[in-house]
Amino acid sequence: MTTNAYDLIVAILSAIGLYDMILGFFQDIGAEYVLRIIIVLVVIAVVVVFVLLTVMFLSWLERKMFAVVQARYGPMVTGPRGLFQPIADGVKLLGKEDTIPAGADRWIFTLAPYIVFVSVLLVFIPLPFGKSLIVSDLKVGLLYIIAISAITPISILLAGWASNNKYSLIGAIRAVAQDISYTIPLAITAIAVVVFVGSLSMLDIVNAQSGYWFGIIPKWFIFLQPLGFILFLIACIAEMGRIPFDFQESEQELVAGFFTEYSGMKFAMFFLAEYAHLFAVSGIIVTIFLGGWNGPVIPLIPIELTSLVYFIIKTYAVILFTMWLRDTVPRVRIDQLLNLGWKIMIPLALLNLLVAAFVVTAGVI
Amino acid sequence: MNSAEELKYLLPASVISVGVQTNKPLAVIKKEDILQVAEKVKEMGFDNLSVITGVDREDRIEVIYNFFSYKKKQNLVLKAILDRTSPSIDSVVSFWKVADWLERETYDLVGIKFNGHPNLKRILLPEGWMGHPLRKDYDMSIEQFVTVGEDGEDIVSTDGSNLLRGE
Amino acid sequence: METETFLLNVGPVHPATHGVLRFKLRMDGETIRDCQIVVGYLHRGTEKLGEMKTYLQFIPYTDRLDYIAAMPNNYAYVRAVEELAGIEVPQRAEYIRVLVMELNRIINHLVMMGSLLLDLGGSTMIMYGFRERENALQLYESLCGARMTFNYIRPGGVREDLPDGFIPKLNEFIKDMEKRIVDYEELVNGNEIFLMRVKNIGVISAEEAINCGMTGPSMRGSGVDYDIRKEEPYSIYPDLDFKACMRREGDSLARYLVRLDEIRESMHILKQIVDAMPAGKNVNQKYGMAPNTGAPTAVTSYFPRIFTPPAGEVYCRIEAPKGELGFYVASDGTTKPYRVKIRSPSFCNLVALPKMVEGLKIADLIAVFGTIDIVLGDVDR
Repeated sequence: MTTNAYDLIVAILSAIGLYDMILGFFQDIGAEYVLRIIIVLVVIAVVVVFVLLTVMFLSWLERKMFAVVQARYGPMVTGPRGLFQPIADGVKLLGKEDTIPAGADRWIFTLAPYIVFVSVLLVFIPLPFGKSLIVSDLKVGLLYIIAISAITPISILLAGWASNNKYSLIGAIRAVAQDISYTIPLAITAIAVVVFVGSLSMLDIVNAQSGYWFGIIPKWFIFLQPLGFILFLIACIAEMGRIPFDFQESEQELVAGFFTEYSGMKFAMFFLAEYAHLFAVSGIIVTIFLGGWNGPVIPLIPIELTSLVYFIIKTYAVILFTMWLRDTVPRVRIDQLLNLGWKIMIPLALLNLLVAAFVVTAGVI
Repeated sequence: MNSAEELKYLLPASVISVGVQTNKPLAVIKKEDILQVAEKVKEMGFDNLSVITGVDREDRIEVIYNFFSYKKKQNLVLKAILDRTSPSIDSVVSFWKVADWLERETYDLVGIKFNGHPNLKRILLPEGWMGHPLRKDYDMSIEQFVTVGEDGEDIVSTDGSNLLRGE
Repeated sequence: METETFLLNVGPVHPATHGVLRFKLRMDGETIRDCQIVVGYLHRGTEKLGEMKTYLQFIPYTDRLDYIAAMPNNYAYVRAVEELAGIEVPQRAEYIRVLVMELNRIINHLVMMGSLLLDLGGSTMIMYGFRERENALQLYESLCGARMTFNYIRPGGVREDLPDGFIPKLNEFIKDMEKRIVDYEELVNGNEIFLMRVKNIGVISAEEAINCGMTGPSMRGSGVDYDIRKEEPYSIYPDLDFKACMRREGDSLARYLVRLDEIRESMHILKQIVDAMPAGKNVNQKYGMAPNTGAPTAVTSYFPRIFTPPAGEVYCRIEAPKGELGFYVASDGTTKPYRVKIRSPSFCNLVALPKMVEGLKIADLIAVFGTIDIVLGDVDR
């Protein structure tokens, strides 16, 4: 019974019959731990490559969907239907001059975008892509995700501070204010789900949603906690800084975002991080509320594959919904945004938690 | 009687003559009494100041105010004759706020000074511009070069010295 | 807690402002305490040019004032010249003039609605608006060869008669527009976020609006029931049945809704014109009126080659899509005007802006500014 990707690789190698041979080879050298490190590195490499490919695809998808909603074509020239547009964008960004503004703190300025990107990548560790397709099933998976997401405001502040630009700093402070205001209802709503499951592990949350009621309705938490789902979705969109909460990137607002002074590869890092964050957050929403990789089992196809497909389908459904929202709705003013976060969402999230706790204690579910 | 005749009836000392501007009643007034006339005109119900025009005739400068009353649906045109060498007249900005920018524009392009205006600066041309273009004796052969300084304010010169920037 | 205000500069090059316009804002945190507007970046000396060109040569310059909707600019100047010289215009030409002007009103309001939503973040509306605008611009291209600077209305009539197939295409455009406007209402009017951004933002009372020289749809959004087309009608407006659109609240939402209503009224007017247009395409004349012949046709009366109107002054105002557009023309009996003064609606509408945004946040400045609907060619001339 495999529980994470490491074990899956071991199982695959054993099935082929190679595992014992390779293990014996390393044991002869007396360095068995090297094999473990290699397998872990392979797992991480697969995840990173998957994230990078997804990010490229998502940037194309965003532009295409934006165009289709607005009755135009979108990227069409580079590659079939414009599929190579992200590659063209990447090449363009690589070719730009990498400037560091005068008076900026060189080290922090250079490191900040990479800190953002790495902190987003770290979120992918406990994310269950499919049955036993998880890098590491942390016992405190959900808490870990929320904690790692808290690194993002720090790195934004670093980027804004290191730019030596009054407006970047103001932009960074506003972004952090937005981030913090919406992490609180996000965390409270996530706790309400944990109350149902009884464990912080992402795998346990997914397993708790397997099965059906009355044979038809899947046991997803969205049906048990509709208010929680809505609050979590709004909090995630606000945390990511997408429309309707994207005053940071609105060119129409005069205070430029915290990444004004960035160009070239560092700028690319911020955008890669944004799309990776989008995918990660959608994955978390799917795991917590939409049943994770659960779905009807198809005979003769390995369950690892079908679960991966279900997960991807559900994640893209959430992503497309976010993009649809972006195309349709105008943006919210910053003080209305903070009002919404502090005065409306936190009380509602607490109410949601209260009801969940009551329901569980009363033994209803 | 039309609105210009009514004005003459109410303020006979200030109105020099009454006529028409094609199809609108025109009253030529003394420039010193503009504030009194403005008050009376506002009382008569002319709440919309449409435009203030400055015209440079050969021997004088005229400033023409076009009014309209939304309630009574009447037009009124006031004309004041100003001295060409130093044209100046009191500002009516306290009665109609739109006069703020209209008078600034007239000052900018025709060169009429409006006494009592809170902020009589050039509005369409940059601050350091020389001359008033809509005067008939404006010399159009003089080139003036405009650039933007460090603080965002305009720098104007006639010899192009502000165009060269050291690197 | 003691805080200091700081000076913030918006523009002149900026994606939100509808041209080159500069705001000098005195800010207290997010709130605007004082707003100074710096204009003049697009000043091209149109009034001085008016004194150096003949009456007919000046008409293309009027196109460049409000370049989003250029026909009313043409018309206001031409009507001033016609009043000065006492030129009569044939009926069919009047109908054609009102037709193109009302179509201009529709496309102008589409741009305003689109740019307002674009500034607020919902970029879909401007794409839809420009899709409709494209159909109208193709109509104009078939009519006078230009999409933006028409140079179509001349003293005495219009330049050319309507081409074949214009009226059926216009009817198609109206039918299409009627469907789409329902789309726009559903997309925008009920959207909570849009309402949060524009409701009760930038309120101006009726007296202040009149005092500050605001005219047009922005003034009618504050409850002043005055439309020059109804109160001082010109051309064939006395024969047309329409109402002046008005709202009472005076906030940005009211100004937006007034323009939406005006699009409907303009379509109503267009339908009446298409039904009532007097017939008469002169089959002898291939080109309507060229300055070379000056001979009368079905769509223009006699216009001499060397045109010297009698000495005098005239001030003529019309209801342009943005407000009250007025031309003051003074003539001294020669072929060139003695003085041309343009009363542009955008210039005067801006006077009220500092009062409207005091106490609001920066994001609201963008929303209010979008509803006043100015274009810099009009402000700076």
